[in-house]
Amino acid sequence: MTINSLHCICVYYQDWHRTRRPKPASEAGLLPAVSQAVSAAAAGDAAAAAHATASTFSSPRNTLQSTTGTVVAISNELPPPPPSTAGAGVGGLTSTGLAFDEEAKLVYGVVISLRNMVKKISGRDEQFTSYRTSAYRLHLFETLSGYKFVMLTDPRTENMRVQLRRIYEGPFLEFVVRNPLVKMDSREQGIDNENFRAALDRMVRGLPVYA
Amino acid sequence: MASNVKQYKAIGEELWKGRSEKINAELFALTYGALVVQLIQDYEDYDEVNKQLEKMGYNIGTRLIEDFLARSGMGRCSDFREVGEVIAKVGFKTFLNITPSVVHALPPSPTPNRQSNPTPSQPSFTLTLDENPLTEFVELPEDALEGGLWFSNVLCGVIRGALEMVQMQVQAEFVSDVLRGDESSEIRVKLVKYLEEEVPVGDD
Repeated sequence: MTINSLHCICVYYQDWHRTRRPKPASEAGLLPAVSQAVSAAAAGDAAAAAHATASTFSSPRNTLQSTTGTVVAISNELPPPPPSTAGAGVGGLTSTGLAFDEEAKLVYGVVISLRNMVKKISGRDEQFTSYRTSAYRLHLFETLSGYKFVMLTDPRTENMRVQLRRIYEGPFLEFVVRNPLVKMDSREQGIDNENFRAALDRMVRGLPVYA
Repeated sequence: MASNVKQYKAIGEELWKGRSEKINAELFALTYGALVVQLIQDYEDYDEVNKQLEKMGYNIGTRLIEDFLARSGMGRCSDFREVGEVIAKVGFKTFLNITPSVVHALPPSPTPNRQSNPTPSQPSFTLTLDENPLTEFVELPEDALEGGLWFSNVLCGVIRGALEMVQMQVQAEFVSDVLRGDESSEIRVKLVKYLEEEVPVGDD
């Protein structure tokens, strides 16, 4: 899942199941504190998280990126072994081998273009909410203030808008908006912080669609 | 638009009642007062203090709008007039439990023979605060009066910050203040322009 802010930058990233880890972002590509897992891995890089990244590959990404950009949650469950999984199922999101920042931009670009197209075709009242492919389903929840919450899930999942809205009203409001230490100015820094990540994690794992 | 007004009042009332974290009004007023006193001591220039209060308000406003949008679930306002109504009836009510009254001043309509008095070219509205929780126990000393201090200037900043996050650039300022001896406290909010959505820089 990623969160993108109003300045079109990715501010947060978290995932729950992915088939392949996205490659760490190129150095200049990502704001610091988006997610430890995807920040630049260059040694001696400004991001202190870089070293941690290489070793903690299995842990959820934690860097906060403060971009008010899109919050994308790639909470796709891993592809289930063929027989079992019922319900939520997990979409295997095979990484395309892109560096994370490019992947984030790609996702964001898709979202923005689709949104603009929907608005042009049907006027201001319609809103683009999700799309589905054979491999995954992308859900978008957008606030009036420009924050976009994006989540990728298994194609069989039903619409997650309600859950995304609850994420907005729950962990986001509590730990990002109300937290004076988290800079919400998206241009410089992501919004990763321990509490937010943990609360979000708990909430998502508690969802019925989570495999 | 009477029904809308009633709806807004109802929403505001409900949000205020539903809020689980309320703080003591006196604590709030005293804390704010101490803040202003400290600012005056630090800056010693009332204009600068006004600016700082406004800046603090701006930072508060950018976050407050998220809280407001999340809880009230309100959609986009159709015009600036509605913005004024929503701010007064829902916004102020939700956070401060007061309901300022709103007076709109819209730009002149296109018909040529209408106008007699000059109306501003940009839409604006004026909020009249009958009661102000920030100024509960406050009296301004002589030199603050002369120096031009707007005690509750943080409110102007909050309005500006909040509206900027929903793509409206406004100017909000105090026109009169009871603390200064005027009849009523009024904030005038003037729309400067609607902000366009940012498109990411194309890098391919």
